Amino acid sequence: MSMLDELLRAVLDLSEGKALELTKKLVESGEDPLKILDCVRAAADEIGKKFEKGEYFVADLVMAGEILKGISEIVTPKLREAGKKRKAVGKLLIGTVEGDIHDIGKNIVITMAEASGFEVVDLGVDVPPEKFVEAIKQHNPDIVGLSGLLTLAIDSMKKTVDAIKAAGLRDKVKIIIGGGRVDEYVKEYTGADAWASDAATGIRIMIKLMEEKRGG
Amino acid sequence: MTKEPIDLWIERHEKDPEAELKEKTERFLRAAQLKVPDRVPVAGVGGDFLCRYTGITWYDMSYNLEKIPGAVLKFVHDFPSDWSIIFAPMLLEGFVFALAFADYPDFSNTIRFLCGPVHDILKDKWSQWPGREIKEDMHPQFRGGEFMKPEEYGKFIEDPVEFIHDTILPRACPGLGEPGSSRWNAAWIRVGMTMQKIGAFQAQLFGELIKRGNAAFPITNAYTPADVIGDFLRYPTGAMLDMRRTPRDFKAACDALVEHILKVATAVPPAPPATFFFIPLHLNEMLPPKLYGEFYWPQLKKIIEVLVSKGYKGFVFFEGDHSPHVDTILELPKGWGIAWFERPRDFVAVWEKLKGHTTVMGGVPVSLIASGTPKQIDEYIKNLMVKIKPEGGFVLSPGVNELPADTPVANVRAYINAALKYGAY
Repeated sequence: MSMLDELLRAVLDLSEGKALELTKKLVESGEDPLKILDCVRAAADEIGKKFEKGEYFVADLVMAGEILKGISEIVTPKLREAGKKRKAVGKLLIGTVEGDIHDIGKNIVITMAEASGFEVVDLGVDVPPEKFVEAIKQHNPDIVGLSGLLTLAIDSMKKTVDAIKAAGLRDKVKIIIGGGRVDEYVKEYTGADAWASDAATGIRIMIKLMEEKRGG
Repeated sequence: MTKEPIDLWIERHEKDPEAELKEKTERFLRAAQLKVPDRVPVAGVGGDFLCRYTGITWYDMSYNLEKIPGAVLKFVHDFPSDWSIIFAPMLLEGFVFALAFADYPDFSNTIRFLCGPVHDILKDKWSQWPGREIKEDMHPQFRGGEFMKPEEYGKFIEDPVEFIHDTILPRACPGLGEPGSSRWNAAWIRVGMTMQKIGAFQAQLFGELIKRGNAAFPITNAYTPADVIGDFLRYPTGAMLDMRRTPRDFKAACDALVEHILKVATAVPPAPPATFFFIPLHLNEMLPPKLYGEFYWPQLKKIIEVLVSKGYKGFVFFEGDHSPHVDTILELPKGWGIAWFERPRDFVAVWEKLKGHTTVMGGVPVSLIASGTPKQIDEYIKNLMVKIKPEGGFVLSPGVNELPADTPVANVRAYINAALKYGAY
């Protein structure tokens, strides 16, 4: 088994100490940082699949996210030194919608999205619709993620989608809503393109949206 | 206009509230005892929808005691239910305060929930309130935070109550100042005075609600040890990481909390016909079975078993999708209490597992009431009742009792109508 395979194994076993140690060894041995980040991406993908199969839970995503973040922190400076840049899969603009200050779900999505190769712009919590609109104009994202835990978030998500429509930006972005209380009904009601009640499903959908975009 | 079942029910409340109260109490108790009542009890709703419907803000609901009774009484009149959880004024998680005073049963349970006026005194960082940190029309929110470092578990385990009181409260509540200072003492005296005022207000409002035919049962409070750590000390993600990084400390901390949580819960003695202990679960669905089985369930099970053996009945809110852990509930004594499920991926499957052992509450997705049509709601509940009704021991309810502000009135009426139409045994 190559050291990169070992690293992938350690991440999937959620062995934090071992994964970080292997990363340091790989970096010291002169491994291409991009290859290590590819391994991170593969791990994120595999973790997502395990979550969807019910083998992993949120606590596992949180642990895996910490490990992947730790690996990136070791590798990114090396990448910069080498003058290399990782090509982003797509750009995600994300925030917890107006009236809701919860951020655990959003932060898990951010960690997993970054590990999967997305460039992420985080607008924080309690983000009013107009701030989303401004940020879309400024950052030109591929995907807009609306996060929310409370039932009131359903109304705020709808208002945000409406504001994006009113600003004439609806066709420029795909909108995904996420949180414990969203489902197909809420997707229809808010006018979003997709919904996910967990981060892993959300990432898979976003990757699919990007593939569709590239495909035409 | 033809009268719908809900209109006739409202009329019965107006004509003979005493008879309604009696019927509802019996209906709910029979369901809680796994027996077949005359009709499936239907649980009440509220939240942002209550504020919108009655024209008051969350600020009013939290601070303006004069405006609350009118709004609440109108709401429960127009949307009757068999049993409803009413936070008036609005309350948020505050079990940590009950723990800080766990050795004082005369008031530990009184400060189990946090209200806006007490937040103003303590200035706690766990919660945010309308007209204070957030806008007046925003729902009060529990945010939690990290107020303990992983290396402090040892001190916590030695004496959880003293550690919470002496170390956590000063960190999380700038309004208190240093323990023992005049500021500290003054703040607690003010909290006492405030709670006395709010207690009197609640007693009067609940008296009025009962007079109008609304059932109420005495309730005490307990908590899951791992949630105390996740909600108040280490933040949920911190708690999840600690289970893996410092498992021995985490487990010892959970074990150490059990007796103190029981002290708070038993501060309210059980009284016939039933005193319920309320436990809202938070980390449950986020944990894989291995972590759940080691750091969450053993302590929770112990707490439930002890309280049931002392004559209380359980009322546990299983947040999120509890499906992966449902089997463990069968380890509890039959008839231990009510399990309210927020959004199990297959509600009927959960019901099939637990029927005859546990009273099951829930079944209606909030999103369906918020964004479906009255016809969809009617059909959904009709189908659900066909699958569930024959057994007894079931309470119809949305996954949570809070509905969004824009929920159509017709949808909420459709929910209650369907319960009345299809719920009779």
